[in-house]
Parts: sequence; C-alpha cells; structure tokens
Amino acid sequence: MEPGRRGLMPAFPCGKMEEGKARWPDGVFAHLEMLEARAYEAAVKQEETEQREEKLARLKARVQELRRQRDELRAKVDLQQKGLGKAGVVSDAAQPSARAVLEWKIKSVKAMLQVFYLTGISGKLTKQGVCFCISTAYEGTYLDSYYLDLLTKPEVRIHRHSVPTFIPLEQIAKKHLETDIRRFLSVLADHLNAYVGRRHQADQLQEHFSDQIEGTLQRNSLCNLLVFNYNLSSRSKTFPFNARLLYGDLCCSLPTEVSVSCTPEAPASLAETAAAHSALFRRVALHRAFRSFSSAAERADVAP
Amino acid sequence: MDETVAEYIRRTVLKIPRDEIKTMLQKWGFLSEMQLQTVNFHQLKENISQDVVQLCEENSADIKQAAVLDIIYNHIYPNKRMWSVYQMNKTGEEIEFFDFTDFKKKFKRRLRSALKNVTINFREYEDNAIWIRIAWGTPYTKPNQYKTSYVVYHSQTPYVFLSASVLRSNLPLLCQALVVASNYHDIREVELRSHSLNSLKDIVFKRYSQNFQTYCPRPLSERKVAPESADVRIIQENRNEKERIQRVNREVFGDGPQPKLEFAQYKLETMFKSDPKMDVMYKKEPFRCLVKFSSPHLLESLKSLAPVGMADAPLSPLLTCIPHKARNYFKIREKKGFFPESFVSP
Repeated sequence: MEPGRRGLMPAFPCGKMEEGKARWPDGVFAHLEMLEARAYEAAVKQEETEQREEKLARLKARVQELRRQRDELRAKVDLQQKGLGKAGVVSDAAQPSARAVLEWKIKSVKAMLQVFYLTGISGKLTKQGVCFCISTAYEGTYLDSYYLDLLTKPEVRIHRHSVPTFIPLEQIAKKHLETDIRRFLSVLADHLNAYVGRRHQADQLQEHFSDQIEGTLQRNSLCNLLVFNYNLSSRSKTFPFNARLLYGDLCCSLPTEVSVSCTPEAPASLAETAAAHSALFRRVALHRAFRSFSSAAERADVAP
Repeated sequence: MDETVAEYIRRTVLKIPRDEIKTMLQKWGFLSEMQLQTVNFHQLKENISQDVVQLCEENSADIKQAAVLDIIYNHIYPNKRMWSVYQMNKTGEEIEFFDFTDFKKKFKRRLRSALKNVTINFREYEDNAIWIRIAWGTPYTKPNQYKTSYVVYHSQTPYVFLSASVLRSNLPLLCQALVVASNYHDIREVELRSHSLNSLKDIVFKRYSQNFQTYCPRPLSERKVAPESADVRIIQENRNEKERIQRVNREVFGDGPQPKLEFAQYKLETMFKSDPKMDVMYKKEPFRCLVKFSSPHLLESLKSLAPVGMADAPLSPLLTCIPHKARNYFKIREKKGFFPESFVSP
C-alpha cells in the first residue's frame, strides 16, 4: 500500500456496512482487486530497485578492482623507471651507494654466521646468557642440531636444552661447565657427534642391507651395543654370522669390542672370514664394511 | 586351547575397530595369511571374533600369544589408558651397555621371585621402546588377564612410563623389578600424568618444539603469515600490540605443536592476602585451595589464550613452565623469609 495515501478505510468497518456500500459503488471485491493490483505494482517496483542496487554494488566492486590494478601497474612503472634511471646515469655507477654497501655487509655477516653454524658449534647471546647450537654431522652428512640455553648469572648453568636424555649431560656439566666452558662444549659435541654417527651407521645398515640381516638390528638408545645375524650376500637364506659390536667409548663412532662368530658346524673358511670381519668392523664404519662385502661378492661373481 | 584364552582373544578382537582387525592380526603374525583369507572381515564383529577364535583353536594358541595381541592393541591405541611417569636415578658413572636379553632375564627373575603367578610379556619396537605387559595374580590364584599393567621403557634413559592397573598394591614390586633390571638405584613418581603417551615422551625426552634463539632460524615459509587486509584504507590500530603478543607467545611456546596434556592441577597452600583491617582470616593459616585446569588439549589452549585476548601476554610462568618442568601437578606454598612471595615446590 502506498504510504502516502491517507484516509484508507478498512475493508469492513464494524457497524458501518451501509456506509461501505455507499463508498464503494462497484463493490468490496472490486476494491480488493484494485488494492491487489496496487500491491503487485509496488512489489514489482521494489524488485526493480533491488536489482538496481545489486548492479550498483557490482559496478562499485569492479571499480575497486580496476583501481587496485591501476595502482599495481603504476607501482610497477615507477619501479621500472627507477631501475632505468639507475642504469641510465653512468657517472653514479662508480660510487657504490650506501644502500649497496649495507647490503654487502649484511650478506657477509650472514655468510659468517652460516660458516659458524656449519663448523658445528655456534652461539647467540641472549638476555640472560647465551644459547649454543651444536650441529652434528657424520662423514659429510649434516644430521641433527641440539640446543643449549645457558644462564650466566649468578653462575653458569643450563636453563633449557634439547639434548636427548641418554646422553650423560649432567655428568659432563658437573665436570666441566663451571670451570672450562670450551671443554664442556667440546666434550658434549664429541658425545653428540659420536652418537649420531653410530645411529647413522645402524640406520644405513638397516636401510640398505636389510636383506643381508636377519630380522632387525638389535640396538639400544645410545646405539652402543649392536647385535645381529648376517650373511655375505643377499641371495642365501641363512645367516651364518653373528656379530656383537660394543662401543665402549661414547665419544667414538667405531666399536671398541667386536666379536663375530659362526655356528659351530660351519666350515673352517667361514670361521676365517668371521675373524677377518671382526678386525674389519673395528676399523671401518659398519655400512661401508657391508658395502665392501657386496662389491667383493660381485667381483667374485664376475671372476671366472 | 584353554577356554579362558579363547575368551580373552575373543574380547580383545572385539575391542579393535572393524577396519583395523585384519591389519592387527597380520601384525600379530600368529595366524597365517591363508587362514586370514578365510575370514570375512565385513561381517559383524561378533562373528569375526568367533571366526578368529576358531582359527586360533586350530593353531593351539596359548596365553603368551594372546598377550602379544593385547600388547599390539595397546601399542596402537595407547591413549585409552592413563599413563604416569616415573624417574629412576643412580649414582654410578659407568657406561651403560643395555642388553635387551639381559634386561628381560633380570626383570622376570626379580618379579617371579616375589610373586609366582604373573604373566610377563615383552615386545621391542624400533624407536628403542620396550613394552612390558604384566598380568597380576595372587599367591593363590592365576593371573587375571583383564587386570594388566603396562610399562614402556626406553633403554638407557631414566624414565619409565607406567599404566598401572587397579591393583596398586603390586606397584612397589613392579618398581623394584624395573630398578634391578635396568641397573638403577631407586625410582620415584614424577608429577606428570596424561592419556597421551607420546606427549609424555615428548615432554621428558625434550622432543617438543622449544624456541631457542639462534642466528639461523627456520625459513619464513614454515611460519603462517596472516593475509593483509585488501583495502589499504583499513588501519589496524592494535597492530603493534598484536605483533608483540604473537612474538612473546612464540618465544614461550615455540612454533610447533604442543604436547597433549589434559589437565594441570595446582594445590595452593598460601596465605590469604587481604586488607588487614578486614581481618577475614582471624587464624593466620594457609588458605588451602585446589585449582584444576582441564581441556582436551591444555597446552594448545594456553597458547591461544593471549592471541584471542582472554589473557595478558606473557602468561604466568606457573602455566608456561609445565613442559619445561615436566610436571602437571604443582604445590604452591608461601616462601618463608623476608619476602612473602609464593614459590613452586620441587
């Protein structure tokens, strides 16, 4: 109903039936029809306004989008002009700008920090002390990094760390931390590097030579005792050799005691090989020793 | 095959979700692949369990094999049990050569010397974790396979994870056997408990992400960067404060996922501090009170308190020290001395 209209009487005023008949000579239903038609027109108009508003909103969004693109392109053009400007003016190229010098300095400092990180022991001063990072490696492969957050006041002590629990950190700290921090870091780094070295050897063995080993390697958290049955080639189904490697020195990644034995019924030649392997494992990393077996076996195959 | 064994196997199979039954039986390795092919794993679990028991009957399973199946189930679903952490210590400095066979022998001998009616099973996993399952009996009754304790021990570490059964009277026996078998001197319970075994391991083995300050931080691509608002006319008034909160939060909690704990409990025995004129407590006694925070994932919810604005950053150290101190039960007492501040007891 148009709000502007005043004096619209309700269709059936109570007690005024006669008046109604006088007011709407065509009848109440005709009046109703007219009202209906008006309502319909109003609804159509409203729909039109809504559609117009929608279209307006769409166009506004499009304008926004185009403005944004224009800004982007403007920025690109500016940048290009600046670049051209730099190349265009030859006389300034000889003097390096302050910005370039700063960038070079930052790059060289970053490279220096990277070098420290690669050496294995690096540190950063913190508000309360210093945070050391021991990055371990074995034979050229970088392995895990371990962190130590130290406090320096009132005395040097460890605040937090990410060293595994089976590394005897408390013992090493008790011995060296307060007296000689270099020694402490060096001993700890030795322990950690040796541990990851032993672990790397065992992992490599398990990964690349699993068909020459019976089942899985029996080891422990520190990887300082390995026991396994193995054979020389991947083709045979029996595992005549039993190896037991004991790593007595926790700072060393080679075993201190090796015993390789065969089953008692084995022929004498195997017993000799076992003794040879015993000596080999004490000198050479485990996975490389196994690699030498397979290459020796290949050579034996190739030889007539 | 013993009826009790058959029933036990049937009930264990019923616990396993239907889709996992076949894989778990394959891991168990007691039934051959051919035998497993004869079972229809799409029927009702009741019927699957009956079929499995039938096959076990053919292979004459005994309690040892049934126990192995139970260990496998608990290893895959450890979060159904409540785990507590114990710490052992020793005074010697000898290098430990942990030998698994030696450990098993010593443990069994020690436990059986005190109590003959126990079922003990071991299983070693690749992350150097040793799972021990113990079913307890009494001097006069056979072991009750439904009342089991589980022990998870990583060699050459001083920590043991225990999921004790209802029979707490056997706990001293179990602790003693562990100490003897692993060559330590004594053992005590650490105030750390949770349903998530891996989270407990992460906390005590320091495998969770701690934020250490280094010059070689992880590349930015790993950190989530919030998208900037598209319209430059919108200015974030609190941007500095938001960034400060993010930075402080990251320093405290680190970038990675937090270990999953369900609650932290603080037992307060501090003096009630009030206006002396009000004189609420006429007896100068500590005000005893227990505050417990619980959540499906407590540490993640603490981490998100400051960014959503429910708490000030940095959070109280009493809350943030939980993974660092490796405990979620605290006792807070008054500090005796000139400065009456509260402190956390060890």
